Amino acid sequence: MFIALSPSHPDPMYKQVTDQIKDAIASGALEPNERLPSVRELAEALDVSAITIKRAYLDLETEGYILTRAGLGSFVAEVDRDELKRRKLDEVRAELTRLVRSSAKFGITAEDVARLARDLERH
Amino acid sequence: MDTMLEATGIGKRYEDFTLRDVSLGVRRGAITGVFGPNGAGKSTLIKVLACQVPAGAGTVRVFGLPCAGRDAAIRNRIGYVPQEPVFYMDKTVQWNTRFAAAYFAEWDGGEFYRLLDRFKVNPLKAVKHLSGGQKKLLALAMALSHRPDLLILDEPAAGLDVLHRRALLDRLRAFVADGDRAVVVASHITDGLDEIAEDVSFLHEGRVILHDDRDDLLSRWKWILYAEGARDPTVEDGLTDVRRQPYGNRGLTADFPAIRESIAPALASGDVRVENASLEDILIALVKEA
Repeated sequence: MFIALSPSHPDPMYKQVTDQIKDAIASGALEPNERLPSVRELAEALDVSAITIKRAYLDLETEGYILTRAGLGSFVAEVDRDELKRRKLDEVRAELTRLVRSSAKFGITAEDVARLARDLERH
Repeated sequence: MDTMLEATGIGKRYEDFTLRDVSLGVRRGAITGVFGPNGAGKSTLIKVLACQVPAGAGTVRVFGLPCAGRDAAIRNRIGYVPQEPVFYMDKTVQWNTRFAAAYFAEWDGGEFYRLLDRFKVNPLKAVKHLSGGQKKLLALAMALSHRPDLLILDEPAAGLDVLHRRALLDRLRAFVADGDRAVVVASHITDGLDEIAEDVSFLHEGRVILHDDRDDLLSRWKWILYAEGARDPTVEDGLTDVRRQPYGNRGLTADFPAIRESIAPALASGDVRVENASLEDILIALVKEA
């Protein structure tokens, strides 16, 4: 698992942690039932406070990505892959909207952007 | 390029250390920041640049004129604020001001009182009753009011609260806004002057270890963050200040444009990320290296 936190990122630290753990779960870097590092361990490795990691884990648990068992630690939940995909699609839509709108200012159409995307997949 | 102040090969033995072979140019229209750890020689350099003390070696030319002689032609055009401004402490701000105004060829009293008002300095108070920050701002108001072309300031933000610091930064930016004047300022990076300096000089143990355009500097120095598994020798090559951690390593590159292409695939896949470095990061890395 690769987690890189940025103090200059607009999202707060705990949000960056939850987002990157979600990415790791979606990509399979973290597998269902895999044990997550302890709050303290991750806090030390990332140079943030335990409170930040606790908050991130709590959010992940509320959203159903992980399960925390008292005394045992936190584990990756069995997540619905289709649901993950739907959530990712929402993100992709938001980014594409921004991209298509900024491209339009230069006369680049949505079709041009789509063609570029298809070219990327071929390579 | 239009240079307002040119220092070449400055050497100076002063108090308990030595400046060695310091060269730097101050561009017209720019704010030049001189940064460095305590005891790096910032104050000594500032005094030499402001023609307050003669250089032991090398030359300083201000507005094309040699510093030697400390003549009025230079004195009237430099607004100088030392680290510890000198006043008649028992006298009022107003009394001190009349004394200062007489010293310079020009004096803009209207501007002076506008500045005091903006800096919230009461002209009727005795100087000894002003806070350290207010004394600094009073000295700055005096320096600005004789209409200099070049401001030379030694740690002007030290001891200022955030509101006064903001007022100082805004005033310095306004000073160079028309492109005809320039500022040289010695400071600690944490004082916020680094945010407004177009050119930066890093001073360490009496030497300039870097003098560069701030934007160029920040576009070359980047943090490279990379996954442990994706540790690619080409990524790690040439990184300094490498920190290895279980959930990702990071290292500082001094030449991002040179490695941008080689790390492009890893960037696209998310195994490598790039983050801006701060002037503080760069200064610390250079001081460690030196």
